[in-house]
Amino acid sequence: MLRFSFATAAASLVLVSLASLASCARVAPYDRGKLAHPSMTTADVAGPAESHVRSIHEGATGGVLGAGGGCGCN
Amino acid sequence: MRMQLTARLPSSSSRVCLACALVVGVARAQPVAGPEAPQEPAAVPSSPYVVHASSEAAEYADTDHVFVFTPTVAGSVERPGGGWSVNGSYLVDVISAASVDIVSTASRRWTEVRQAGTLGGTYQLGALGIGANGALSSEPDYLSLAAGLVLTYDLFDKNVTLLAAYNHGHDIAGRTGTPFSVFSHSINLDNVNAGATFVLDRATIATALVDADFVNGDTSKPYRYIPLFAPGTHVSPGASIDTVNALRASERPLEQLPLTRNRYALTFRVAHRFDASTLRLEERLYDDTWALKATTTDARLLFDLSRRVELGPHLRAYAQTSVDFWELAYVLQPGLVYPAYRTGDRELGPLVTGTGGGTLRWGVGPSRAPTQWVLGLDLSATYTRFLDDLYVTNRTSVLGGLSIEAEL
Repeated sequence: MLRFSFATAAASLVLVSLASLASCARVAPYDRGKLAHPSMTTADVAGPAESHVRSIHEGATGGVLGAGGGCGCN
Repeated sequence: MRMQLTARLPSSSSRVCLACALVVGVARAQPVAGPEAPQEPAAVPSSPYVVHASSEAAEYADTDHVFVFTPTVAGSVERPGGGWSVNGSYLVDVISAASVDIVSTASRRWTEVRQAGTLGGTYQLGALGIGANGALSSEPDYLSLAAGLVLTYDLFDKNVTLLAAYNHGHDIAGRTGTPFSVFSHSINLDNVNAGATFVLDRATIATALVDADFVNGDTSKPYRYIPLFAPGTHVSPGASIDTVNALRASERPLEQLPLTRNRYALTFRVAHRFDASTLRLEERLYDDTWALKATTTDARLLFDLSRRVELGPHLRAYAQTSVDFWELAYVLQPGLVYPAYRTGDRELGPLVTGTGGGTLRWGVGPSRAPTQWVLGLDLSATYTRFLDDLYVTNRTSVLGGLSIEAEL
């Protein structure tokens, strides 16, 4: 069930991506002033401390990589 | 040489997506920008290199008596004309905790220091982008090493960018005061992610990412003892330490988690630029082989109040189900048989979380280039409701950070 649901979601992602691709308007390089604004980065804009807090508070965020062992205090 | 100090480190769409984080990190090195026209009227660069650096000090505190102080420095060097960049970061976590989980095991306040560093680089070969990165995190009882590669490919005049990345991590978990050679667990993590970014129109960009993590090893905490109860014992959520101690059996084994975990996530991110503000929305769906399912919704609105000031309110909502071996009260079976899997990690139980906060960026540079120096303030508060846990039913935390940016 888990794998099925994930496969369904992944397939949905592909379909959405293809639909987005089909519906994309070609924006010329000279017409990307707004897209070039620093706040339009495609990355997560959370800082290191905020990211770390998320990885501790949210069971679905982050893995063991770099998270540290800790005391089991949470 | 043109130098630009920025406020933050590169960050990742997920904690384990180190490759993405480091590749986008340079892109994240963002100064405060005013309304559209004066995008960056700084002095003409005298060098083909762009140097970014940042420093931030953050403080975390919560109602479970956990405090964390995190100073951070980061930097990067880019040569846009040459298509390459390198970046690195270093942070220290100073953690002090006397949480209910520590107190319940009759332990004292616990203090620890973690150090972490990253190093990465990117190179652009026409439409193909190549990135490599490494990360190291060290504390007395835990060592984490990671490395990864990321590829990007631009299509349709950069209206579509594809991304694929692979990371491998190797962690060693031990106990404070005991050498790794005497006691330790190895944990291996393989992370694969793929996605695409689409330019939807002149002011809108969207990203879709799929993440898959494959974790192998014992991630059980060697300090976390699990109370067991006789069959038929009724324990209420939020039961106090005294109540639990009165009801529990004398046996109290250590936590034991399954030795493998596959984790999957889908992330959708949209950013739209208005005349003097940017709206950023994100939705993340998560599922794993421990049956934990989660949803995260994140929204930010970044206002350019002037050429010098940017204000960014932020809201985040998160909810998760428990893992399939989660129990409020684990039962000690006849014959002193422990449950095969048992945990007291509240982040593996059912919970909901709401976060509200914001950022303020103030450009204090000269009038010709106000973002040469920028001061930043981040402040947020988070409320978590634990739906099926011992000891506590909620937690409130506050996270604050001060940062400095500059262009020299």
